[in-house]
Amino acid sequence: MHLFFWREAWRSFQAHRGLALTTVFSLAAALALAAVFLLVSWNASQALHWIGDRREMIVYLNDEAGETQVQSLQAKIGELYGTSTYVSRAQAWEEFNTQVGDPEILKAVGTNPLPASLRVRLKPALQNFAAMSECAKQLEQFPEVEAVRFGGEWVQRLDALNAGARRTAVAVGLLVALAMVFVLHNTLRLAVLARRQQVEIMIKLGASDGFVATPFVFEALLETLAAVLVALALVFGLQQALAQRLDGVTFLPIEWTLSFVGGALVLAWLASVAALGRILRTVGA
Amino acid sequence: MIQFEHVSKRYGERLALDDVSWRMNEGERVCVLGHSAAGKTTLLRLITHETQPTSGTIAIGTLRGGRLSRAHRALLRRTIGVIYEDFRLLGDRSVFENVALAVRIAGHFSDSDVIPRTLRALEEVGLHGKQAALPGELSFGERQRCAIARAIVNRPAILLADEPTGALEPRSASEVLALLGRIHQEGAAVLLGTTRPEVAEAFGGRRIVLEDGRLREGGTPEHAFMPVPAPQSFEAPHAAQAPPAPYTGGA
Repeated sequence: MHLFFWREAWRSFQAHRGLALTTVFSLAAALALAAVFLLVSWNASQALHWIGDRREMIVYLNDEAGETQVQSLQAKIGELYGTSTYVSRAQAWEEFNTQVGDPEILKAVGTNPLPASLRVRLKPALQNFAAMSECAKQLEQFPEVEAVRFGGEWVQRLDALNAGARRTAVAVGLLVALAMVFVLHNTLRLAVLARRQQVEIMIKLGASDGFVATPFVFEALLETLAAVLVALALVFGLQQALAQRLDGVTFLPIEWTLSFVGGALVLAWLASVAALGRILRTVGA
Repeated sequence: MIQFEHVSKRYGERLALDDVSWRMNEGERVCVLGHSAAGKTTLLRLITHETQPTSGTIAIGTLRGGRLSRAHRALLRRTIGVIYEDFRLLGDRSVFENVALAVRIAGHFSDSDVIPRTLRALEEVGLHGKQAALPGELSFGERQRCAIARAIVNRPAILLADEPTGALEPRSASEVLALLGRIHQEGAAVLLGTTRPEVAEAFGGRRIVLEDGRLREGGTPEHAFMPVPAPQSFEAPHAAQAPPAPYTGGA
């Protein structure tokens, strides 16, 4: 794109500093809200991922299942559902002893009643309530399997939490997008009105809508870029403050940060092109 | 080149142009003479499609009748140079930038295109020494010459001048008319609108008289198009003073 349009955009930015700064801060407020939510989403997703890693399925085996049968079952599980770890009756009893710790209770239990089991870490695609239920049903069909447990209730809650976070992300994203469109439309209308005489002269000289609009679009992009940097700086400050009180609170990864900047710029471009298409029709014949 | 066929234009209750038919040929020099609100500006605005006729047909080159799209209107205006009574210059841009803007609007952006064209136009109107000045630092005559440079910088086939000497003192007016004469001699069709008969006489060429939106009362278009001789100066006492640089736009 020609340097001329960037020069014009910068000239307008400087000529109407008050309007430009008001726009930057209005956009920064909306974008900071989105960035705060992104920060929360990022850290929540990290936490959920950590919890999700611990989603496992316990496949209790029949006492009659021999070593060959168990190995064959493990191979099938590995092929269809995920990786499995064999826990013998003795290992299960030892773990139980460690967890309970009270010798009186252990004495009351008497002999080891625990069955051998397979701990299955499911493939990521199967780590949701519906898929886990289906896997459990299928595994129960194997003759070597006595029962299957996977903590369905908390898996359901975890899934609901994930879905809720996604819905909120979409809602906040839409709200911020609307706020940006509103701010940019009004700013551009004021910018065009402030330079109405210039716009009218350019139209009389034969300037196309694209020629007239491009500096305004670039100005909107400059303002959005400034706003997005301000918003990210604010959120970085917030993350630093939180990190001193809460362990594990991290800033957005570079991919998220770049997507946030890119998304804001694309939205600004679309909003300003759409707004100018309407505004310029009211200026000059 | 420009043809009006039974064109009327109404603004609310007021009839600005009433059944006007006339024609302007390539390379012609035409003066539209009429009192204030006679319809001269409306006629010029119809040519640039700044407004639409209420009835009748207008043809500009190959564009004939109908409401043009914004893109076509822009295209049309890039082929016509327009000079306004109030100059319509951008106050925060230098003389050079005002003229260069028209070059960029025509689609030329590189410095190797913009700079020579702009400097040449400024030289033609005698403003090459003032290219860095802002319009506010110029006399009215210089501002109008800047506006003329902007109008001719893209070598338009048609030049429209709406009361170009209205805001000027006699000497500057004379210079501007002489400049328009030279532009015409170089091949451009020039259409000038004025309320002042002495300007019409100084400009010369074919004359159209408008009165209350109609061609001269009782006259036919042929009468209205009566040619008058073109005097060499607008006002004799100032004619001997230094004229602007010669127009070489057709070269």
